[in-house]
Amino acid sequence: MKRRSFLKLLGLSALYHQWLIRGVSASEGPLLAVAEGKDYARVTRNAIAALGGMKKFVKSGDVVVVKPNMGWDRSSEQAANTNPIVVRAIVEEALRAGAKKVKVFDRSCNDERRCYVNSGMVAALSGMKNVELKYLENERFKKVELKGKALSEWELYDEALHADVFINVPVAKHHQLTKVTLGLKNVMGVMGGNRGSLHKHIDEALADVNGALKSHLVVIDATRVLTAHGPQGGNLADVKFLNKVIACSDIVAADAYASTLFGHRPEDISVTVAAHKRGLGEINLKKVRIVRA
Amino acid sequence: MKKFPKITTARASQLLFLLVFFVLFVQTEYRGSDTISAAINSFFRADPLVLVSYLAATRSFSWLLFPALLTLFFTLLLGRFFCGWICPLGTVLDLVTGRIRKTAPLRILKGNLKYWLLLPLLSSALFHVNLAGILDPIAILVRALTFFLYPLFGGTVRGGWVGLYRLIGERRDALEPGFGLLRDHLLPFRETFYPLAFLSAAMFLAIVFIERYESRNWCRNLCPLGTLLGLFSRFSPFKRFPAQLCSDCKACRVTCPTSFDGEELRQDECVLCMECLGACRQDRVKFSWTLPGRVGAPFFPERRVLLGGLFSGVLLSGSFRFRRPEAQARLLRPPGVKSEDEFLKKCVRCGECMKVCLTGALYPAIAQAGVEGVFTPVVTPRLGYCEYNCTLCGQVCPTAAIPSLPVAQKRRAVIGKAVFDKNHCLPYARKTNCIVCEEHCPIPQKAIRSEIVEERDPSGALIRLQKPYLVEDLCNGCGICENVCPLEGKSGIEVFAVKDRTPLKEALPGPVQPGPAQSGSAQPGKAGGTASESDDPYR
Repeated sequence: MKRRSFLKLLGLSALYHQWLIRGVSASEGPLLAVAEGKDYARVTRNAIAALGGMKKFVKSGDVVVVKPNMGWDRSSEQAANTNPIVVRAIVEEALRAGAKKVKVFDRSCNDERRCYVNSGMVAALSGMKNVELKYLENERFKKVELKGKALSEWELYDEALHADVFINVPVAKHHQLTKVTLGLKNVMGVMGGNRGSLHKHIDEALADVNGALKSHLVVIDATRVLTAHGPQGGNLADVKFLNKVIACSDIVAADAYASTLFGHRPEDISVTVAAHKRGLGEINLKKVRIVRA
Repeated sequence: MKKFPKITTARASQLLFLLVFFVLFVQTEYRGSDTISAAINSFFRADPLVLVSYLAATRSFSWLLFPALLTLFFTLLLGRFFCGWICPLGTVLDLVTGRIRKTAPLRILKGNLKYWLLLPLLSSALFHVNLAGILDPIAILVRALTFFLYPLFGGTVRGGWVGLYRLIGERRDALEPGFGLLRDHLLPFRETFYPLAFLSAAMFLAIVFIERYESRNWCRNLCPLGTLLGLFSRFSPFKRFPAQLCSDCKACRVTCPTSFDGEELRQDECVLCMECLGACRQDRVKFSWTLPGRVGAPFFPERRVLLGGLFSGVLLSGSFRFRRPEAQARLLRPPGVKSEDEFLKKCVRCGECMKVCLTGALYPAIAQAGVEGVFTPVVTPRLGYCEYNCTLCGQVCPTAAIPSLPVAQKRRAVIGKAVFDKNHCLPYARKTNCIVCEEHCPIPQKAIRSEIVEERDPSGALIRLQKPYLVEDLCNGCGICENVCPLEGKSGIEVFAVKDRTPLKEALPGPVQPGPAQSGSAQPGKAGGTASESDDPYR
């Protein structure tokens, strides 16, 4: 080989190398979809489609758990619970992708009957085939070895643990303790026991639980968000319309992105930081491929 | 009038009303709607004992009790038809009495005992101590069901359902549709176990037990409602003929469940069951109208019973006044109750509010409200809290002792005020963050707020602590803070009774009414410098 051609090859391979590195890093960063619009059902579908469609997550015959936040006896417009339109769209997509059964539940803070009705979920899901909207039953909580930093074990709901696909559908809102509550904290809705006692080390506790119970898909409802007096709100003056739905299979990336909607930096939210440090996902939004849909 | 319905009609009516009673009882629960259109309170609103004691105690009439006025009117006209055709307790007795072998009637019950029960109850009501509900037959039945039988039934069925899960795990889901029907329509939503369950059951069982001495023993010799109706039925122009046993037959003595102890029919004890009409082989018995005014027996057996009964009511009303002050501090009444005295005058102690309470916050008082307050409802926040948007207890209360308030008003009704116990509360006592109470406080502007302070934890490290405090003017005492406090046993925040239960200010922006009114009242929060709020960068 002549010296010139050797140098050419070297130069070209260097170029190629750089391209290769970029390409690799890009293909490894999580894909996050942000859809915006007023038709929330369509927005939800668009967000999921941008990730490659529900078929990427749900296989034919799967049992799917959709876990919205319906913890409070507040009406839909008060933004304390996940928008039922978003939930219904996800349930429909899961069924269309071939889900055998879709289960929707939450361990509510107020009386569950009022929460299920007043959140609009009962009306939104009524009459749908192969869809169960049910109250939690105490006997179904199973002690799970978490061996985490904060929690060595905790009771988790069996139907969430045994689901083929767990779709986490929080509403983005303010929280007095954690600043915002998003996907990582929404998982508290499948925890049994004295949840209030978690608050003293909530960052690590949530990382422990999310490490044991993986959310295969996170769809954050930011159609309207609560900007103050969270997590319960109650005052429409605190509600802000963003008309956005965020979808991602990486729960930390999803939370990181959603926290920016409130003007926070992802690193300011200690719950997200703790989960990232545990390797549960990507907190650096520069490494996340964000697609608008 | 000759062809009066045969025995079957009275029986059919009894069974129908018993069925209605059970349906209404089960319906007295939240089943997806904010309002309960028909509840078991209908029976109490048609109950003349409730009406008369209410009139005596409050000296005012309530249209809620108009049906009871009708019952009285028709009792004047017809006699004790209520006892033989409607009363669910009477029906239960009729259903079981055939299986209970009879000994001789108890002599102690045969005198004027029933007047000695009724008259003191009514006269003490005149002196503001309304105890009628304790012995009201329908209240006795509802309490036995609410406090004892229904939780037992629910607990047993659900226990089986849980046991099935332990046995076959998630395969149980195959049976879910069947159980779902039962759960949604028949079972109590959650099993609440009540104090005084034993006493409630014992009162009911004692009434069944004394059936062994004679049939309808309670109804004839004790029941204050029956006695009251008996007083009115004496004027009824609707009578059975012949008024005595026929000398050649006397079969009525056996057939009649209530009125033939002697030769003469006791008009005030006849419940119009019309068993004699169908049983008479000679076709002599008939029920027909006659001119009123010929009251056979003296109105009261003796004058001294009347005077003595009334006077002992005064004694009764005076003897239960003592209240333990420390129990008073936690004597929290259901939302909307403003005055304890007013409440005690009206409360029937039927237990409906406790049955309907969403979260199981209401429990019957044992001694907190003094002896005269037994069975009256008390909010017990550590066991259940008052749900912010729920108005059910006021809706089902038969006498509006708990007023039926629109939801916007109920949210502002003050039950008590929360007080932090800094020796227990986590951020104060143990320097760990918590704010579970603040999170759950349903008041949109938050009656519980927190300020962020920097303090050193036990290891000496500087930490940011969120310390909660109470904004008293916003607290309605719903008790959810005390309920959810994650401390074991004693809560770090507790609701205490207050005398001044003036509703929270209307300026509170209701969650449903956005607008300029809100920004004004949101100011105090900001001016107060709620650190957690000003700390939020997006504000």
